[in-house]
Amino acid sequence: MKKNGTKITVFDPIGQPSGIFGRRLDVDSPMFAIHDPVHQPRDTAEKLGALKMAPRLDSLEGKTVYLVNTGFAGGKEFMEEVRDWFTRHRPDVKTELRHKKTSMFTDDPELWAEIKKGGDAVVFGVGG
Amino acid sequence: MENDYGVPTAPIVTSRFADYVQRDGRSHGMNLRWTFPPYPVGFIPKEILRSYVDGNDPISGVPLMDEVLFALTEPLTDAEKHPTILKRPARPRLLEPDTEANLHRLFLENGWTDGLPIVLPTEERVAEMLTGTDRGPQEYVGMMSVTTHEERLQYTVERVAVNAVMAGARPEHLPVLLALGESGRPSMPSSTTSFASMMMVNGPIRNEIGMNSGLGALSPVNYANSVIGRAWTLMTINLGDVRPGATFTASTGTTINYNNMCFAENEELSIWEPFHVRKGFKRDESVVSLFRGWTVLGFNTGPLQRMLQVMKSLSGPFGGGTFTFVMDPLVPKALKAEGYADPKQLSEYLINELNPRFKRPDMINFLVVGGEMNPMWVTTDFSYFQSVKIDPWIPKSGIKKDAKPLRMPEAVMCKDGSCGISH
Repeated sequence: MKKNGTKITVFDPIGQPSGIFGRRLDVDSPMFAIHDPVHQPRDTAEKLGALKMAPRLDSLEGKTVYLVNTGFAGGKEFMEEVRDWFTRHRPDVKTELRHKKTSMFTDDPELWAEIKKGGDAVVFGVGG
Repeated sequence: MENDYGVPTAPIVTSRFADYVQRDGRSHGMNLRWTFPPYPVGFIPKEILRSYVDGNDPISGVPLMDEVLFALTEPLTDAEKHPTILKRPARPRLLEPDTEANLHRLFLENGWTDGLPIVLPTEERVAEMLTGTDRGPQEYVGMMSVTTHEERLQYTVERVAVNAVMAGARPEHLPVLLALGESGRPSMPSSTTSFASMMMVNGPIRNEIGMNSGLGALSPVNYANSVIGRAWTLMTINLGDVRPGATFTASTGTTINYNNMCFAENEELSIWEPFHVRKGFKRDESVVSLFRGWTVLGFNTGPLQRMLQVMKSLSGPFGGGTFTFVMDPLVPKALKAEGYADPKQLSEYLINELNPRFKRPDMINFLVVGGEMNPMWVTTDFSYFQSVKIDPWIPKSGIKKDAKPLRMPEAVMCKDGSCGISH
Protein backbone atom coordinates (compact mmCIF):
# COMPACT_ATOMS: atom_id res chain seq x y z
CA MET A 1 0.00 0.00 0.00
CA LYS A 2 1.33 3.43 -0.95
CA LYS A 3 1.80 5.94 1.83
CA ASN A 4 -0.38 9.01 1.87
CA GLY A 5 1.03 11.58 -0.52
CA THR A 6 2.65 9.03 -2.84
CA LYS A 7 1.39 9.46 -6.36
CA ILE A 8 0.17 6.45 -8.26
CA THR A 9 -0.92 5.93 -11.85
CA VAL A 10 -4.29 4.46 -12.70
CA PHE A 11 -6.16 3.69 -15.90
CA ASP A 12 -8.91 5.82 -17.40
CA PRO A 13 -12.08 3.71 -17.14
CA ILE A 14 -14.03 5.45 -19.91
CA GLY A 15 -14.66 4.01 -23.38
CA GLN A 16 -13.50 5.67 -26.58
CA PRO A 17 -15.77 7.58 -29.01
CA SER A 18 -16.74 5.26 -31.85
CA GLY A 19 -18.35 7.52 -34.46
CA ILE A 20 -21.37 5.18 -34.36
CA PHE A 21 -24.77 6.47 -33.31
CA GLY A 22 -28.15 4.86 -32.74
CA ARG A 23 -31.11 5.87 -34.85
CA ARG A 24 -34.90 5.84 -34.73
CA LEU A 25 -36.45 2.49 -35.46
CA ASP A 26 -37.28 1.33 -38.95
CA VAL A 27 -40.91 0.54 -39.66
CA ASP A 28 -40.28 -3.18 -39.31
CA SER A 29 -38.05 -2.94 -36.23
CA PRO A 30 -39.40 -4.58 -33.09
CA MET A 31 -40.53 -2.00 -30.54
CA PHE A 32 -38.10 -3.23 -27.90
CA ALA A 33 -35.18 -2.48 -30.24
CA ILE A 34 -35.19 1.17 -29.22
CA HIS A 35 -33.20 0.16 -26.15
CA ASP A 36 -31.53 -2.80 -27.78
CA PRO A 37 -28.08 -2.16 -29.24
CA VAL A 38 -28.20 -5.37 -31.23
CA HIS A 39 -31.39 -4.62 -33.13
CA GLN A 40 -31.37 -0.83 -33.16
CA PRO A 41 -30.53 0.79 -36.52
CA ARG A 42 -27.29 2.74 -36.60
CA ASP A 43 -25.95 5.92 -38.10
CA THR A 44 -22.38 7.02 -38.61
CA ALA A 45 -20.86 10.41 -37.87
CA GLU A 46 -20.16 10.85 -41.59
CA LYS A 47 -23.76 10.21 -42.51
CA LEU A 48 -25.11 12.48 -39.80
CA GLY A 49 -22.67 15.22 -40.75
CA ALA A 50 -24.33 15.52 -44.13
CA LEU A 51 -27.81 16.22 -42.76
CA LYS A 52 -29.28 19.60 -43.70
CA MET A 53 -32.16 21.63 -42.35
CA ALA A 54 -34.87 22.56 -44.83
CA PRO A 55 -35.23 26.14 -46.10
CA ARG A 56 -37.78 28.11 -44.11
CA LEU A 57 -41.07 29.50 -45.44
CA ASP A 58 -41.41 33.21 -46.19
CA SER A 59 -44.76 33.22 -44.47
CA LEU A 60 -47.35 30.79 -43.18
CA GLU A 61 -50.21 32.68 -44.78
CA GLY A 62 -52.30 30.28 -46.86
CA LYS A 63 -49.98 27.43 -46.04
CA THR A 64 -50.78 23.99 -44.66
CA VAL A 65 -49.10 23.02 -41.42
CA TYR A 66 -49.25 19.41 -40.30
CA LEU A 67 -49.47 18.89 -36.55
CA VAL A 68 -48.14 15.46 -35.63
CA ASN A 69 -48.81 13.80 -32.30
CA THR A 70 -45.77 11.62 -31.80
CA GLY A 71 -47.44 9.41 -29.24
CA PHE A 72 -46.03 10.35 -25.85
CA ALA A 73 -48.50 10.78 -22.98
CA GLY A 74 -50.48 14.01 -23.43
CA GLY A 75 -49.31 14.50 -27.01
CA LYS A 76 -52.76 14.09 -28.51
CA GLU A 77 -54.40 16.59 -26.18
CA PHE A 78 -51.54 19.07 -26.45
CA MET A 79 -51.52 19.02 -30.23
CA GLU A 80 -55.28 19.53 -30.25
CA GLU A 81 -54.63 22.70 -28.25
CA VAL A 82 -52.00 23.74 -30.78
CA ARG A 83 -54.56 23.22 -33.53
CA ASP A 84 -57.08 25.33 -31.59
CA TRP A 85 -54.46 28.04 -31.18
CA PHE A 86 -54.04 28.25 -34.94
CA THR A 87 -57.82 28.41 -35.36
CA ARG A 88 -58.06 31.26 -32.87
CA HIS A 89 -54.94 33.24 -33.79
CA ARG A 90 -53.95 32.25 -37.31
CA PRO A 91 -57.09 31.31 -39.25
CA ASP A 92 -55.12 32.01 -42.42
CA VAL A 93 -53.14 28.83 -41.77
CA LYS A 94 -54.68 25.47 -42.59
CA THR A 95 -53.78 22.72 -40.12
CA GLU A 96 -53.93 18.97 -40.42
CA LEU A 97 -53.69 17.01 -37.18
CA ARG A 98 -52.24 13.52 -37.45
CA HIS A 99 -51.40 10.85 -34.92
CA LYS A 100 -48.42 8.67 -35.68
CA LYS A 101 -49.52 5.13 -36.42
CA THR A 102 -46.15 3.75 -35.47
CA SER A 103 -44.59 4.15 -32.03
CA MET A 104 -42.94 7.38 -30.95
CA PHE A 105 -39.58 5.73 -31.61
CA THR A 106 -40.37 4.42 -35.07
CA ASP A 107 -40.07 5.86 -38.54
CA ASP A 108 -43.37 6.58 -40.34
CA PRO A 109 -42.48 7.11 -44.03
CA GLU A 110 -46.11 6.86 -45.10
CA LEU A 111 -47.00 9.89 -42.99
CA TRP A 112 -43.86 11.77 -44.04
CA ALA A 113 -44.81 11.25 -47.69
CA GLU A 114 -48.30 12.54 -47.02
CA ILE A 115 -46.88 15.65 -45.36
CA LYS A 116 -44.43 16.22 -48.19
CA LYS A 117 -47.26 15.97 -50.69
CA GLY A 118 -49.90 17.98 -48.88
CA GLY A 119 -48.09 20.19 -46.39
CA ASP A 120 -45.68 23.09 -46.24
CA ALA A 121 -44.41 22.66 -42.69
CA VAL A 122 -44.80 20.36 -39.71
CA VAL A 123 -44.99 20.74 -35.95
CA PHE A 124 -44.07 17.64 -33.93
CA GLY A 125 -45.15 17.19 -30.35
CA VAL A 126 -44.84 16.48 -27.65
CA GLY A 127 -41.56 14.81 -26.90
CA GLY A 128 -40.64 13.72 -23.40
CA MET B 1 -38.45 15.68 -42.42
CA GLU B 2 -35.85 18.43 -42.58
CA ASN B 3 -33.20 16.54 -44.52
CA ASP B 4 -35.03 13.73 -46.27
CA TYR B 5 -38.19 15.58 -47.28
CA GLY B 6 -37.13 19.22 -47.23
CA VAL B 7 -40.02 20.24 -44.98
CA PRO B 8 -39.34 22.79 -42.23
CA THR B 9 -40.19 21.46 -38.80
CA ALA B 10 -40.88 22.84 -35.35
CA PRO B 11 -40.31 20.12 -32.75
CA ILE B 12 -41.99 20.60 -29.37
CA VAL B 13 -40.42 18.79 -26.43
CA THR B 14 -41.22 19.29 -22.75
CA SER B 15 -38.84 21.54 -20.84
CA ARG B 16 -37.58 18.69 -18.62
CA PHE B 17 -35.84 17.33 -21.71
CA ALA B 18 -34.46 20.61 -23.04
CA ASP B 19 -30.84 19.82 -22.17
CA TYR B 20 -31.20 16.27 -23.38
CA VAL B 21 -32.50 17.07 -26.85
CA GLN B 22 -30.24 20.06 -27.36
CA ARG B 23 -27.21 17.95 -26.51
CA ASP B 24 -28.54 15.19 -28.72
CA GLY B 25 -28.93 17.66 -31.58
CA ARG B 26 -25.40 18.96 -31.16
CA SER B 27 -23.95 15.45 -31.16
CA HIS B 28 -25.87 14.77 -34.36
CA GLY B 29 -24.79 17.99 -36.01
CA MET B 30 -28.29 19.39 -36.29
CA ASN B 31 -29.49 22.06 -33.90
CA LEU B 32 -33.20 21.92 -34.49
CA ARG B 33 -35.41 24.82 -33.48
CA TRP B 34 -36.94 23.42 -30.33
CA THR B 35 -39.85 24.78 -28.34
CA PHE B 36 -40.30 23.73 -24.73
CA PRO B 37 -43.63 23.77 -22.86
CA PRO B 38 -43.71 23.02 -19.12
CA TYR B 39 -43.40 19.42 -17.99
CA PRO B 40 -45.30 17.11 -17.84
CA VAL B 41 -48.07 17.30 -20.42
CA GLY B 42 -49.42 13.81 -19.84
CA PHE B 43 -52.50 13.40 -17.66
CA ILE B 44 -52.96 17.17 -17.38
CA PRO B 45 -56.38 18.92 -17.57
CA LYS B 46 -57.23 20.49 -20.89
CA GLU B 47 -57.36 24.01 -19.40
CA ILE B 48 -53.78 23.71 -18.18
CA LEU B 49 -52.59 22.42 -21.53
CA ARG B 50 -54.24 25.42 -23.16
CA SER B 51 -52.41 27.72 -20.77
CA TYR B 52 -49.14 26.03 -21.78
CA VAL B 53 -49.87 26.65 -25.46
CA ASP B 54 -50.96 30.23 -24.83
CA GLY B 55 -48.11 30.87 -22.39
CA ASN B 56 -44.35 31.19 -22.54
CA ASP B 57 -41.63 28.66 -23.13
CA PRO B 58 -40.17 28.41 -19.59
CA ILE B 59 -36.66 27.95 -20.96
CA SER B 60 -36.55 30.98 -23.27
CA GLY B 61 -39.29 33.11 -21.70
CA VAL B 62 -40.71 33.71 -25.18
CA PRO B 63 -44.39 33.04 -26.06
CA LEU B 64 -44.48 29.37 -27.02
CA MET B 65 -46.39 29.70 -30.28
CA ASP B 66 -44.25 32.65 -31.37
CA GLU B 67 -41.32 30.26 -31.16
CA VAL B 68 -43.15 27.71 -33.27
CA LEU B 69 -43.89 30.30 -35.95
CA PHE B 70 -40.31 31.55 -35.77
CA ALA B 71 -39.00 28.01 -36.20
CA LEU B 72 -40.90 27.61 -39.45
CA THR B 73 -40.39 31.01 -41.03
CA GLU B 74 -37.18 32.66 -39.85
CA PRO B 75 -34.42 32.11 -42.46
CA LEU B 76 -31.68 29.70 -41.49
CA THR B 77 -28.53 31.14 -40.01
CA ASP B 78 -25.13 30.27 -41.43
CA ALA B 79 -24.55 27.94 -38.48
CA GLU B 80 -27.81 26.17 -39.23
CA LYS B 81 -26.96 25.90 -42.91
CA HIS B 82 -23.56 24.42 -42.18
CA PRO B 83 -23.93 22.29 -39.06
CA THR B 84 -21.01 20.43 -37.60
CA ILE B 85 -20.93 17.43 -35.36
CA LEU B 86 -19.25 18.05 -32.03
CA LYS B 87 -16.60 15.37 -31.86
CA ARG B 88 -15.85 13.90 -28.49
CA PRO B 89 -12.14 13.84 -27.69
CA ALA B 90 -10.36 10.49 -27.46
CA ARG B 91 -9.78 9.26 -23.92
CA PRO B 92 -6.28 8.75 -22.51
CA ARG B 93 -5.09 5.31 -21.53
CA LEU B 94 -3.74 6.47 -18.18
CA LEU B 95 -4.80 9.31 -15.93
CA GLU B 96 -2.45 11.87 -14.46
CA PRO B 97 -0.64 10.39 -11.45
CA ASP B 98 -2.08 11.49 -8.12
CA THR B 99 -2.45 10.36 -4.55
CA GLU B 100 -4.78 7.50 -3.75
CA ALA B 101 -7.12 9.79 -1.84
CA ASN B 102 -7.28 12.29 -4.67
CA LEU B 103 -7.89 9.57 -7.24
CA HIS B 104 -10.75 8.11 -5.22
CA ARG B 105 -12.22 11.60 -5.09
CA LEU B 106 -11.65 12.06 -8.83
CA PHE B 107 -13.50 8.85 -9.68
CA LEU B 108 -16.39 9.75 -7.41
CA GLU B 109 -16.68 13.34 -8.54
CA ASN B 110 -16.54 12.40 -12.20
CA GLY B 111 -19.34 9.90 -11.75
CA TRP B 112 -17.13 6.96 -12.75
CA THR B 113 -18.45 4.76 -9.95
CA ASP B 114 -21.75 3.51 -8.55
CA GLY B 115 -21.10 5.60 -5.42
CA LEU B 116 -19.67 2.68 -3.47
CA PRO B 117 -15.94 2.41 -2.79
CA ILE B 118 -13.92 1.04 -5.68
CA VAL B 119 -10.55 -0.59 -6.13
CA LEU B 120 -8.33 1.84 -8.01
CA PRO B 121 -7.28 0.37 -11.37
CA THR B 122 -3.51 0.63 -11.02
CA GLU B 123 -1.21 -0.71 -13.72
CA GLU B 124 -0.26 -3.63 -11.49
CA ARG B 125 -3.85 -4.59 -10.71
CA VAL B 126 -5.02 -4.30 -14.31
CA ALA B 127 -2.06 -6.40 -15.48
CA GLU B 128 -3.06 -9.06 -12.95
CA MET B 129 -6.68 -8.88 -14.11
CA LEU B 130 -5.59 -9.40 -17.71
CA THR B 131 -4.15 -12.80 -16.79
CA GLY B 132 -7.78 -13.92 -16.71
CA THR B 133 -7.86 -14.17 -20.50
CA ASP B 134 -5.51 -14.97 -23.38
CA ARG B 135 -6.89 -12.13 -25.43
CA GLY B 136 -4.71 -9.11 -26.10
CA PRO B 137 -5.26 -6.00 -23.96
CA GLN B 138 -5.94 -3.83 -27.00
CA GLU B 139 -8.30 -6.27 -28.68
CA TYR B 140 -11.68 -4.77 -29.50
CA VAL B 141 -14.53 -6.15 -27.41
CA GLY B 142 -17.59 -4.10 -28.31
CA MET B 143 -19.41 -0.80 -28.05
CA MET B 144 -22.13 0.41 -25.75
CA SER B 145 -24.40 3.35 -25.03
CA VAL B 146 -27.20 3.76 -22.53
CA THR B 147 -28.99 6.17 -24.86
CA THR B 148 -30.76 5.66 -28.11
CA HIS B 149 -29.13 8.32 -30.20
CA GLU B 150 -25.87 9.39 -28.60
CA GLU B 151 -22.52 8.22 -29.85
CA ARG B 152 -21.56 4.78 -28.65
CA LEU B 153 -18.34 4.20 -26.80
CA GLN B 154 -16.07 1.37 -27.84
CA TYR B 155 -13.77 -0.57 -25.60
CA THR B 156 -10.95 -3.05 -25.50
CA VAL B 157 -10.14 -6.00 -23.28
CA GLU B 158 -8.05 -3.64 -21.19
CA ARG B 159 -10.91 -1.17 -20.57
CA VAL B 160 -13.15 -4.00 -19.46
CA ALA B 161 -10.36 -5.21 -17.16
CA VAL B 162 -10.07 -1.71 -15.69
CA ASN B 163 -13.74 -1.72 -14.75
CA ALA B 164 -13.44 -5.28 -13.45
CA VAL B 165 -10.68 -4.18 -11.09
CA MET B 166 -12.80 -1.24 -9.93
CA ALA B 167 -15.67 -3.60 -9.08
CA GLY B 168 -13.41 -5.75 -6.92
CA ALA B 169 -13.44 -8.66 -9.36
CA ARG B 170 -10.59 -11.12 -9.87
CA PRO B 171 -9.04 -12.57 -13.03
CA GLU B 172 -11.27 -15.66 -12.95
CA HIS B 173 -14.31 -13.40 -13.34
CA LEU B 174 -12.95 -11.55 -16.36
CA PRO B 175 -14.24 -13.97 -19.06
CA VAL B 176 -17.82 -13.40 -17.86
CA LEU B 177 -17.31 -9.64 -17.98
CA LEU B 178 -15.79 -9.79 -21.45
CA ALA B 179 -18.82 -11.76 -22.63
CA LEU B 180 -21.04 -9.03 -21.13
CA GLY B 181 -18.94 -6.44 -22.93
CA GLU B 182 -19.25 -8.35 -26.18
CA SER B 183 -23.04 -8.20 -25.88
CA GLY B 184 -22.92 -4.40 -26.02
CA ARG B 185 -25.89 -4.34 -23.67
CA PRO B 186 -25.87 -1.83 -20.85
CA SER B 187 -27.29 -2.96 -17.52
CA MET B 188 -29.24 0.29 -17.17
CA PRO B 189 -30.38 1.62 -20.54
CA SER B 190 -31.53 5.19 -20.27
CA SER B 191 -35.28 5.43 -19.92
CA THR B 192 -37.45 7.64 -17.77
CA THR B 193 -39.08 4.36 -16.71
CA SER B 194 -35.91 3.16 -14.93
CA PHE B 195 -34.93 -0.15 -16.46
CA ALA B 196 -33.50 -2.93 -14.34
CA SER B 197 -31.44 -5.88 -15.56
CA MET B 198 -30.82 -9.44 -14.53
CA MET B 199 -28.00 -11.79 -15.53
CA MET B 200 -27.65 -15.52 -15.10
CA VAL B 201 -24.64 -17.73 -15.80
CA ASN B 202 -24.89 -21.32 -16.98
CA GLY B 203 -22.31 -24.00 -17.63
CA PRO B 204 -19.08 -25.16 -16.03
CA ILE B 205 -17.73 -21.69 -15.28
CA ARG B 206 -20.37 -21.18 -12.59
CA ASN B 207 -18.68 -23.59 -10.24
CA GLU B 208 -15.14 -22.91 -11.41
CA ILE B 209 -15.38 -19.29 -10.29
CA GLY B 210 -17.50 -19.99 -7.23
CA MET B 211 -20.79 -18.46 -8.30
CA ASN B 212 -23.74 -19.17 -6.07
CA SER B 213 -26.64 -21.02 -7.60
CA GLY B 214 -28.01 -22.37 -4.36
CA LEU B 215 -29.22 -20.95 -1.11
CA GLY B 216 -29.33 -17.16 -1.12
CA ALA B 217 -28.00 -16.94 -4.67
CA LEU B 218 -29.63 -13.55 -5.17
CA SER B 219 -28.56 -12.30 -1.75
CA PRO B 220 -25.31 -10.43 -1.06
CA VAL B 221 -23.58 -13.48 0.39
CA ASN B 222 -21.37 -14.60 -2.48
CA TYR B 223 -18.25 -12.92 -3.76
CA ALA B 224 -18.46 -13.88 -7.45
CA ASN B 225 -22.16 -13.04 -7.82
CA SER B 226 -21.62 -9.69 -6.10
CA VAL B 227 -18.63 -8.43 -8.04
CA ILE B 228 -19.70 -9.73 -11.46
CA GLY B 229 -23.10 -8.10 -11.15
CA ARG B 230 -21.55 -4.88 -9.93
CA ALA B 231 -18.94 -4.87 -12.68
CA TRP B 232 -21.67 -4.93 -15.35
CA THR B 233 -23.01 -1.67 -13.98
CA LEU B 234 -19.58 -0.07 -13.68
CA MET B 235 -18.98 -1.09 -17.30
CA THR B 236 -22.32 0.47 -18.18
CA ILE B 237 -21.44 3.71 -16.41
CA ASN B 238 -18.00 4.05 -17.96
CA LEU B 239 -18.25 2.19 -21.24
CA GLY B 240 -21.93 2.96 -21.87
CA ASP B 241 -21.65 6.68 -21.13
CA VAL B 242 -23.93 7.15 -18.12
CA ARG B 243 -24.18 10.83 -17.25
CA PRO B 244 -27.20 11.46 -15.00
CA GLY B 245 -29.49 14.07 -16.50
CA ALA B 246 -27.46 14.19 -19.70
CA THR B 247 -27.56 10.67 -21.06
CA PHE B 248 -29.21 8.87 -18.17
CA THR B 249 -32.85 9.73 -17.53
CA ALA B 250 -34.22 7.12 -15.10
CA SER B 251 -36.75 9.13 -13.15
CA THR B 252 -36.73 7.13 -9.92
CA GLY B 253 -33.94 4.70 -10.79
CA THR B 254 -33.79 1.24 -9.28
CA THR B 255 -31.52 -0.39 -6.72
CA ILE B 256 -31.50 -3.54 -8.84
CA ASN B 257 -28.88 -1.78 -10.97
CA TYR B 258 -26.31 -2.13 -8.17
CA ASN B 259 -25.89 -5.84 -8.83
CA ASN B 260 -28.31 -6.69 -11.64
CA MET B 261 -29.67 -9.79 -9.88
CA CYS B 262 -26.52 -11.68 -10.83
CA PHE B 263 -26.63 -15.41 -10.13
CA ALA B 264 -25.92 -18.83 -11.59
CA GLU B 265 -28.58 -21.36 -12.49
CA ASN B 266 -28.81 -24.35 -10.21
CA GLU B 267 -28.34 -26.92 -12.95
CA GLU B 268 -27.53 -29.66 -10.44
CA LEU B 269 -30.83 -29.52 -8.60
CA SER B 270 -33.06 -28.55 -11.51
CA ILE B 271 -34.96 -31.33 -13.22
CA TRP B 272 -35.20 -29.22 -16.36
CA GLU B 273 -32.58 -28.78 -19.02
CA PRO B 274 -30.39 -25.81 -18.15
CA PHE B 275 -31.63 -22.52 -19.55
CA HIS B 276 -28.72 -22.15 -21.97
CA VAL B 277 -29.36 -25.61 -23.40
CA ARG B 278 -32.96 -24.57 -24.04
CA LYS B 279 -31.51 -21.64 -25.97
CA GLY B 280 -29.45 -23.89 -28.22
CA PHE B 281 -26.13 -24.05 -26.40
CA LYS B 282 -24.37 -27.22 -25.30
CA ARG B 283 -24.52 -28.22 -21.69
CA ASP B 284 -20.74 -27.95 -21.32
CA GLU B 285 -20.62 -24.45 -22.76
CA SER B 286 -20.46 -21.53 -20.37
CA VAL B 287 -23.00 -18.85 -21.19
CA VAL B 288 -24.31 -15.65 -19.66
CA SER B 289 -27.97 -14.80 -20.32
CA LEU B 290 -29.32 -11.28 -20.05
CA PHE B 291 -32.78 -10.06 -19.08
CA ARG B 292 -34.31 -6.63 -18.74
CA GLY B 293 -37.48 -5.30 -17.20
CA TRP B 294 -38.48 -3.08 -14.34
CA THR B 295 -39.54 -4.86 -11.25
CA VAL B 296 -39.71 -7.97 -9.16
CA LEU B 297 -43.43 -8.29 -8.84
CA GLY B 298 -43.66 -10.54 -5.81
CA PHE B 299 -43.00 -14.00 -4.55
CA ASN B 300 -45.45 -16.82 -4.38
CA THR B 301 -45.85 -20.47 -3.78
CA GLY B 302 -48.38 -22.78 -5.25
CA PRO B 303 -49.36 -24.69 -8.32
CA LEU B 304 -49.63 -23.72 -11.96
CA GLN B 305 -53.06 -22.16 -11.64
CA ARG B 306 -51.71 -19.81 -8.98
CA MET B 307 -48.95 -18.86 -11.41
CA LEU B 308 -51.51 -18.04 -14.07
CA GLN B 309 -53.66 -16.13 -11.59
CA VAL B 310 -50.72 -13.95 -10.60
CA MET B 311 -49.78 -13.30 -14.22
CA LYS B 312 -53.30 -12.20 -15.01
CA SER B 313 -53.34 -9.86 -12.04
CA LEU B 314 -50.08 -8.16 -13.03
CA SER B 315 -50.02 -6.02 -16.08
CA GLY B 316 -46.62 -4.39 -15.67
CA PRO B 317 -45.96 -0.75 -16.54
CA PHE B 318 -46.80 -1.10 -20.24
CA GLY B 319 -49.41 -3.76 -20.44
CA GLY B 320 -47.32 -6.73 -19.46
CA GLY B 321 -47.35 -10.05 -21.15
CA THR B 322 -43.67 -10.70 -20.54
CA PHE B 323 -42.61 -12.60 -17.46
CA THR B 324 -39.46 -14.28 -16.24
CA PHE B 325 -39.97 -16.56 -13.28
CA VAL B 326 -37.13 -17.12 -10.87
CA MET B 327 -37.94 -20.37 -9.11
CA ASP B 328 -36.53 -22.63 -6.47
CA PRO B 329 -35.58 -26.10 -7.76
CA LEU B 330 -38.52 -27.53 -5.82
CA VAL B 331 -40.96 -25.71 -8.11
CA PRO B 332 -40.14 -27.54 -11.37
CA LYS B 333 -40.46 -30.78 -9.45
CA ALA B 334 -43.94 -29.78 -8.31
CA LEU B 335 -44.86 -28.62 -11.82
CA LYS B 336 -43.73 -31.96 -13.20
CA ALA B 337 -46.11 -33.63 -10.79
CA GLU B 338 -48.83 -31.44 -12.31
CA GLY B 339 -47.94 -32.74 -15.76
CA TYR B 340 -45.56 -30.03 -16.96
CA ALA B 341 -42.18 -31.69 -17.24
CA ASP B 342 -41.02 -29.39 -20.01
CA PRO B 343 -40.68 -25.61 -19.47
CA LYS B 344 -41.45 -24.98 -23.13
CA GLN B 345 -44.75 -26.77 -22.74
CA LEU B 346 -45.41 -24.74 -19.62
CA SER B 347 -44.60 -21.49 -21.36
CA GLU B 348 -46.90 -22.30 -24.28
CA TYR B 349 -49.73 -23.14 -21.92
CA LEU B 350 -49.35 -19.90 -19.98
CA ILE B 351 -49.06 -17.71 -23.10
CA ASN B 352 -52.18 -19.22 -24.58
CA GLU B 353 -54.08 -18.78 -21.34
CA LEU B 354 -52.80 -15.23 -20.88
CA ASN B 355 -53.43 -14.43 -24.55
CA PRO B 356 -51.48 -11.13 -24.68
CA ARG B 357 -51.89 -8.70 -27.55
CA PHE B 358 -48.54 -9.59 -29.02
CA LYS B 359 -47.25 -13.11 -28.78
CA ARG B 360 -43.60 -13.79 -29.38
CA PRO B 361 -41.22 -16.53 -28.37
CA ASP B 362 -39.44 -16.13 -25.07
CA MET B 363 -42.22 -14.05 -23.52
CA ILE B 364 -42.32 -16.36 -20.54
CA ASN B 365 -39.10 -17.77 -19.15
CA PHE B 366 -38.21 -19.92 -16.19
CA LEU B 367 -34.91 -19.78 -14.33
CA VAL B 368 -34.06 -22.24 -11.60
CA VAL B 369 -32.04 -21.07 -8.60
CA GLY B 370 -32.08 -21.60 -4.89
CA GLY B 371 -31.42 -23.96 -2.04
CA GLU B 372 -34.63 -26.00 -1.83
CA MET B 373 -35.59 -24.35 1.42
CA ASN B 374 -39.00 -23.28 0.13
CA PRO B 375 -40.93 -24.20 -3.03
CA MET B 376 -41.32 -20.56 -3.97
CA TRP B 377 -41.20 -18.65 -7.19
CA VAL B 378 -40.63 -14.97 -7.88
CA THR B 379 -42.42 -13.23 -10.72
CA THR B 380 -40.61 -10.53 -12.65
CA ASP B 381 -41.60 -8.45 -15.66
CA PHE B 382 -38.21 -9.10 -17.21
CA SER B 383 -37.77 -9.99 -20.87
CA TYR B 384 -35.08 -12.35 -22.11
CA PHE B 385 -32.75 -10.64 -24.55
CA GLN B 386 -29.62 -12.57 -25.30
CA SER B 387 -27.25 -15.33 -24.29
CA VAL B 388 -23.53 -14.86 -24.89
CA LYS B 389 -20.87 -17.56 -24.88
CA ILE B 390 -18.19 -17.04 -22.28
CA ASP B 391 -15.82 -19.76 -23.52
CA PRO B 392 -14.12 -17.67 -26.23
CA TRP B 393 -12.82 -15.39 -23.48
CA ILE B 394 -11.53 -18.18 -21.22
CA PRO B 395 -7.76 -18.87 -21.41
CA LYS B 396 -6.79 -22.01 -23.32
CA SER B 397 -5.26 -23.33 -20.11
CA GLY B 398 -8.62 -22.89 -18.40
CA ILE B 399 -9.99 -20.52 -15.82
CA LYS B 400 -7.25 -19.05 -13.72
CA LYS B 401 -7.62 -20.40 -10.22
CA ASP B 402 -5.95 -19.66 -6.94
CA ALA B 403 -4.63 -22.45 -4.76
CA LYS B 404 -7.45 -21.53 -2.42
CA PRO B 405 -10.24 -19.95 -4.48
CA LEU B 406 -12.02 -17.07 -2.85
CA ARG B 407 -15.43 -17.99 -1.61
CA MET B 408 -17.82 -16.25 0.71
CA PRO B 409 -18.23 -17.74 3.21
CA GLU B 410 -15.25 -20.08 3.15
CA ALA B 411 -15.50 -22.68 0.45
CA VAL B 412 -16.89 -25.90 1.74
CA MET B 413 -18.58 -28.04 -0.86
CA CYS B 414 -22.27 -28.62 -0.55
CA LYS B 415 -23.61 -32.08 -1.12
CA ASP B 416 -23.09 -32.17 -4.88
CA GLY B 417 -19.97 -30.05 -4.79
CA SER B 418 -21.43 -27.25 -6.79
CA CYS B 419 -23.29 -24.61 -4.87
CA GLY B 420 -20.54 -22.14 -4.19
CA ILE B 421 -21.85 -21.56 -0.71
CA SER B 422 -22.11 -23.71 2.36
CA HIS B 423 -22.40 -23.61 6.10
